[in-house]
Amino acid sequence: MDTSCNLLLLLMFLHYAVGFTNSCVKILPDSSSSIVLEVGKDFTATCHLLEGSDYTSDDIEWISENGSIPKQSYRRINETAVSVTVNIDSNLNGWLKCRAAKQSLSFVPPCVYGISLHAGYPPLKPKNLSCIAVQEDKDISPNLNCSWDPGLRNPLIDTTYTVYANVLGTTQKHKAECNQYLARSCVVNLETFPIHMILKVWVEVKNALGSEQSELQNDSSYFAKPNPPLNVQVLAEVNIPTSLMVTWKHPIDRTIMKLSYAIRYRKAASEVWIEVPESFTRGYIESFRLQSLEPYTEYVVQMRCIGESKSSYWSDWSLNVANSTAEAKPASAPDLWRIIQPTANNRNVTLIWKDPVKANGKILSYNLSINQGYKMFESPSIKENTVSQMYSMELPPGKMANIEITAFNSVGASPKASLFIPGSDKELPGVEDMSWSVLDGKPESKLQVKWTAVLPPRPTLHLSEYLLEWVKITQSVHQTELQVGWQRVPKNLTITTLNADLEKFKRYNISVYPIYKNHSGHRLFQAGRPVTRPAYIQQGTPIEGPTVKVKKSKKNSAELTWDEIPLDSQRGFITNYTIFYAIGNTKQWKSVTVDPNVHSHVLTDLASETDYVVNVLVSTEAGSFKGTDCTFKTMKYGDGEVEVIVVVVCLGFLFLTVFIIMFCLRKREVIKKMLWPQVPDPSDSSIAHWSPDFPIKADLPKEDVSVVEVDVFDGKSLCEEEKGVLPLKKDKYLSEEHSSGIGGSSCMSSPRHSVSDSDEGDSGQTTSSTVQYSTVLGSGYKGQTPSHQPPAFARSESTQPLLDCEEHPDHLNESQSRSSYFRRGRELEPGVLAPECDGGSLTFCPVQEEEVSPVTEEPPASALSYMPQKSGYRPQ
Amino acid sequence: MNCHVGNMVCLSQRSQATFRMILPVLILIAVELVHPTVSCKNESCSQLLQHSLRLTRLTSKRTKELLETYKASQGDFADLICEMQLDNVPVSTVSGQTISQRILSVYTHLKEFLPHMKTVMEQQTDLNPPTNPVAEGLNRMITHVTHIAVKVNCILEFLQPNIPIPEPAERPTGIPPAQNIFQQKAYGCIVLTRLQELLSQAVQEQKSLKKGKMCRKTTKDGS
Repeated sequence: MDTSCNLLLLLMFLHYAVGFTNSCVKILPDSSSSIVLEVGKDFTATCHLLEGSDYTSDDIEWISENGSIPKQSYRRINETAVSVTVNIDSNLNGWLKCRAAKQSLSFVPPCVYGISLHAGYPPLKPKNLSCIAVQEDKDISPNLNCSWDPGLRNPLIDTTYTVYANVLGTTQKHKAECNQYLARSCVVNLETFPIHMILKVWVEVKNALGSEQSELQNDSSYFAKPNPPLNVQVLAEVNIPTSLMVTWKHPIDRTIMKLSYAIRYRKAASEVWIEVPESFTRGYIESFRLQSLEPYTEYVVQMRCIGESKSSYWSDWSLNVANSTAEAKPASAPDLWRIIQPTANNRNVTLIWKDPVKANGKILSYNLSINQGYKMFESPSIKENTVSQMYSMELPPGKMANIEITAFNSVGASPKASLFIPGSDKELPGVEDMSWSVLDGKPESKLQVKWTAVLPPRPTLHLSEYLLEWVKITQSVHQTELQVGWQRVPKNLTITTLNADLEKFKRYNISVYPIYKNHSGHRLFQAGRPVTRPAYIQQGTPIEGPTVKVKKSKKNSAELTWDEIPLDSQRGFITNYTIFYAIGNTKQWKSVTVDPNVHSHVLTDLASETDYVVNVLVSTEAGSFKGTDCTFKTMKYGDGEVEVIVVVVCLGFLFLTVFIIMFCLRKREVIKKMLWPQVPDPSDSSIAHWSPDFPIKADLPKEDVSVVEVDVFDGKSLCEEEKGVLPLKKDKYLSEEHSSGIGGSSCMSSPRHSVSDSDEGDSGQTTSSTVQYSTVLGSGYKGQTPSHQPPAFARSESTQPLLDCEEHPDHLNESQSRSSYFRRGRELEPGVLAPECDGGSLTFCPVQEEEVSPVTEEPPASALSYMPQKSGYRPQ
Repeated sequence: MNCHVGNMVCLSQRSQATFRMILPVLILIAVELVHPTVSCKNESCSQLLQHSLRLTRLTSKRTKELLETYKASQGDFADLICEMQLDNVPVSTVSGQTISQRILSVYTHLKEFLPHMKTVMEQQTDLNPPTNPVAEGLNRMITHVTHIAVKVNCILEFLQPNIPIPEPAERPTGIPPAQNIFQQKAYGCIVLTRLQELLSQAVQEQKSLKKGKMCRKTTKDGS
């Protein structure tokens, strides 16, 4: 089934492809294949109605791939033929059909016939035809590779490129076809390369619209490309340090191709080739001597060859072959310089030097000649294999030195280099100012230094040149290691670029020295004073932040200090420090920016007794780095605040005390009255002046001696008072004198003391909880004999504690003297009462009482009636 | 050329009248086609002589190398077989009294050697694999000898421009086809040996031409 379908489709296709042979119309020109037409040209086709057709020319219609062709393009030839003219464009590919059909309704089937059109361009003439046959082994390859420029226009139709080659004089023609569109090259095999023959090569490009060809005819050697010279060698000439011998072998036999050669060379350190003039190497030679070379220099040599009289292609350059010229005597002096480092009493001079620019060999040693103060100081010989080319010596500040140095290689000595170092006080002037800038470049930036020109201070001095020195500053700011470089600049320049590979982020000190030449006597070269500036070739972000410390914290301020970060960590010039501080963990940072030369700062307006976090940000022009956080707490009080308070309090207390004392002094009478109410003085009573017939004592009123309630202000007074009644006590109590004893008085007595007393005097009572109080009664009043009759006392039991004074009898003595009460008595009647005491009067006279008490201590002669006691005093 | 002329004669037999009309034209065309003067005009005399001499030297040298290669590839008794005598191989002796005659002799001999070289190459190709260096070298020698012949022809044209150069007839080598392998080896060696001798003499003849300042006049003429 499938097969029959395919067959049917094939038949339909064939029927369509060959045209409608049974159609009633036919197109001329006709073709069984596509009709190729040139783009841009007009094409005319004619549609003929075949005999027996029912149509007329009016029924003919032309149809292209783009649709029906307008009637304007038609031309009616006769009743049965209509032609159409179309302009061919590059898109006109496909069928052009002629259709005959009735325009009105008709049962007659329409007739159609078509031809296939294919638009294209004729080929362009190939340009720049060239053919090349390379050398293979010892012969020229028979494969001739030809190439050409086909042009840019696509022919749009099948186009073939054919290369032909023919050796003139022979009939054999070699050819090669390349059928791809716009072919640019093709290889034709000649079987054997026609050496020394005339070869004609042409390329023919052809398609349905035409053909073009380009031709090339020349001696076959013009098509040949030899190999580079073989076995190229460069040999050093031992006795000729400026020459190298180059030898090689012919790459191909001279019978095939006679060659001439080209040589080029360069210094190994350079990229610039120098080509030997071709006239020097024109002959069929196998060696050549390169001359006028620099001694002890490595050269790289390359060679190539070409057919004689340039009758072939150039070969490729040979591989690099290198060799060095022989050594010669150094042609220039070493570059001598010095570094002067003043010490306490001397100058440390370090001589440094470079190899001669034209060393012309390996420098084996240096000879230094040092004169100090016109006398030969030393003349060391220094071998080149020492680690560094330097020599140190001490030079007193007042002395001058002249140094000469000579370099030696295996052939001889170099010219001398000299340098004069004057005394410290005889330095020559330097340039006035210098500045530097960075020239951005790739792959690396350079430092450009600019300075002001200097004029020699004396006519005998001439400015010879300038010297630029750069010293790398290491970790310590004040210590410079000898990582130093220098370069000399002609005197007519005031700006130059340092030929130094300065490290990024490292600080260098750049100095400019004028170098003077003294023409008086010997030619001496002497450097003037330098002008030095620090510089960076490229600044970076610091890699370390300052560590901040709180030096002093106050109530509302804190003094911060920090050290400058190490120089290697700075990596640039510090532009400023920024202090950030915040309360505790609030992260509400405040900042203060200070100059780069400031390393301490006082933060103000801080809150008292508050934790703060602070850090310092160090900045360069390239970036910043934050230091570690530091925490501190402000004080609660400010400076002197505590002292002021203490002083104020003390002064207040003092004033208060003084005021009280003054008040007491001024109001002492009032106070006394308040404290010690006025007790009527018995001695000053009228009865005291009364002189009855009977003894005075008998006249005393019988009333009791009033009990004095002693105020707390003077408790002892009561003790004293009791002393007056002590003689009334039994002997034991009298022997103790000052002790009030059990129930001595209402004066406070210690319970302990009372216990001991009670133990001795009254074993039947325990006074730990009960204190016996007694009331002394004046029993010798009014007719009694008080002198012989001891005062009776009533003892009471009370829970009131005893007073201290009882425990400390000594106080009693003091109280005695202080008892104003009794003193007053004495003062009032000093002369009156004293004798009476002696006379056995019953007036109070404590001093005498002690003495008389033993005498007067007698048991009461008669029992007196006691006054009723409050609080239940037990009647005695 | 003879063949073409022959054809012309055949045509003339068919139509005598036509022949008489076109004969001069046809002869002229035939001469122009086969005569190498067209190629010779592309080189000056000195260039021609120089190229010819170098090519002859190169071919002589390579023939010598090829002969050694040939002997090495033929196994034992190589030297012995090369000393055999064969009558049908062209001689290498250059004859003639004048330089032109000797150059013409060289040219004639070169032409005579070509079919023999082709025969040897065919035999060697049959005897040895296709990669046989002898066959490959022989092929190259054939090309070079052909090219030398062209150059010598041009030299002859310079030497005697008014005298037509007689082309030797292309004829069979005269070597019996039923040669055995030994005979083929001997034949090849003898051909190469004599060719090498001929080329050496050709070099000498051309050197003598160079010494004789053959190109002086033509150089002055600007040719």
